[in-house]
Amino acid sequence: MADQGTESILQFAPFQSAVDEGFWHRLSSLKLNKLGIDDSPIPITGFYAPCSHPHVSNHLTLVSESLPSESSEHFRPEIIRGNRNRCPVPGILYNTNTLEGFQSLDKQSLLRAEARKIWEDIRSGKVDEDNSVLLRFIVISFADLKNWSFHYWFAFPALILDPPATLVGLKPAAQWFSVEEAESVTAACNDWRNMCSTTDVPFFLVSISSNSAASIRHLVEFDACRKNGDKVLFGFYDPCHLPNNPGWPLRNYLWYISRRWSLEKVQFFCYRESRGFANLELSLVGEASISNSQDSRNDQNMPNAVGWEQNNRGRKAPRCISLAKTMDPTRLAISAA
Amino acid sequence: GTVERMTSPRTVSAFKEKGVLSINEFILAGDNLVSKCPTWSWESGEPSKRKSYLPQDKQFLMTRNVPCLRRAASIEEEYEAAGGEVLLDNEDNDGWLATHGKPKENKNDEDENLPSMETLEISKKETIQSIPSYFGEEEEEDIPDMAEFEDADNLIENDPATLQTTYLVAQEPDDDNILRTRTYDVSITYDKYYQTPRVWLTGYDESRMLLQPELVLEDVSQDHARKTVTIEDHPHLPGKHASVHPCRHGAVMKKIIDVLMSRGVEPEVDKYLFLFLKFVASVIPTIEYDYTMDFDLGSSSS
Repeated sequence: MADQGTESILQFAPFQSAVDEGFWHRLSSLKLNKLGIDDSPIPITGFYAPCSHPHVSNHLTLVSESLPSESSEHFRPEIIRGNRNRCPVPGILYNTNTLEGFQSLDKQSLLRAEARKIWEDIRSGKVDEDNSVLLRFIVISFADLKNWSFHYWFAFPALILDPPATLVGLKPAAQWFSVEEAESVTAACNDWRNMCSTTDVPFFLVSISSNSAASIRHLVEFDACRKNGDKVLFGFYDPCHLPNNPGWPLRNYLWYISRRWSLEKVQFFCYRESRGFANLELSLVGEASISNSQDSRNDQNMPNAVGWEQNNRGRKAPRCISLAKTMDPTRLAISAA
Repeated sequence: GTVERMTSPRTVSAFKEKGVLSINEFILAGDNLVSKCPTWSWESGEPSKRKSYLPQDKQFLMTRNVPCLRRAASIEEEYEAAGGEVLLDNEDNDGWLATHGKPKENKNDEDENLPSMETLEISKKETIQSIPSYFGEEEEEDIPDMAEFEDADNLIENDPATLQTTYLVAQEPDDDNILRTRTYDVSITYDKYYQTPRVWLTGYDESRMLLQPELVLEDVSQDHARKTVTIEDHPHLPGKHASVHPCRHGAVMKKIIDVLMSRGVEPEVDKYLFLFLKFVASVIPTIEYDYTMDFDLGSSSS
């Protein structure tokens, strides 16, 4: 643990997006064959997984299955659960019909509307049933089907704690746990990840009893664990690889924890893997201090939210990808000739 | 293609005799890879491209977001100097070992026609700057003026809890900086004609924008770029992807199996993909996908 006197603001590494080519192909065919000029928001599913390499963060990825299929009845993406490399995250796509429409979208309002859903899910207890709603995201896009180019911009709405949470300490999990605890935590995490029903549940509890035996529990079991006198950490699948910062999912998680259990000190566990298995050298354990003054304040008024992603030039601006090479029939004909 | 449609799938094992896999053996070996190396998953791919002879949920294998810290071209010289990476002790030295580690005198004539120097030049330039991803030079006219949008949007979020990242594009990881590196989605499909697995590469630049398949060739061992690695349509995904052509896979795998058997190891077919991926690592030496094999390759007969 760092010195108690040198508390700094807890800073979160932003989530990064990635879009498979297949996503744009399916969006194009949906647009051409089903949606036409209907520009209603479309429910989509993004996927992420814990960081699995010391040098790269994982991304929130969109694949073709992120979109509903043309034949799907309720027009929702069909999600296959139980894939450890694809934890599903609910998102929403605003695809406009024109570039002007895309540019004139009120991004602050869209972000606020999505953040409100997260805030309400926390208040209503929906998070207790499905904690992936803490990770809700937005994509705005304009699919230019004349030129086969796609303008898009992601936002990962995060509720702001005011004043911000401060960091009491942060270190590799392997240094924070005793040797016995580390062994037990590693085994318990691998079991959790190997179970079909829990492998894609991104938020969980690490409960350690007095005899150093660890178990991974669902969030709703917090009170029971605490009653047992267990040491309890709030764990989450951390997509971030950085040694000194937790990733973005901890933001709304902390907000939820502080609202749900009125805790002022929260011990969190940034779960990371190496080659698909729990790695406590890469995983982090930290302690955040949350000012108790905000609990009552936040209860009635929606907090502010941030979360628009930087583009590939490091600016808060949209990205653009051209797929003319693989989509434009004229070019395909020429290259095939 | 046509040939594939006319060939009936292999159902009898010829793993040891020819180094090839039947469909059932491919699934068996794939299940084992997914269980031992969980960064790999089975995928179902585009519904319209599904192969009826494979289970719907096991069409091909994929591992995502695999880092590639250095261009293969930039480490070729080091490998040559070090005598190369000898994976298995193979006497006749003309099969799958004949990669970057091959002694110079054994190079065949074809190698001299490779545009390796040209590629090397490009890669040296590219590694020190952020790559504007998917926009080829001839496509300049398609690129919208992004600067215009950026000014128009100019969204400001002042938030002390957001980590401000200044990324560094580098060849080597450096503890003091945030490294941005190329990443790959690596997939393995079943090639019905050659009856072997086939590897496909989808590259992303430092900001996770799709790489032109031509730039992917910088991450291929120069002995293989543009020769055994070609750019083709993926059998299950949209778009053009770089792929290691499977025409020699059976022969190479047969050689590896023979070496193992000469040492008294009886290779088991469910370990096929570990051996295969170890061989593929000689083609794409800097793409750090997982094929960890810390268990026996097969049963020892001695």
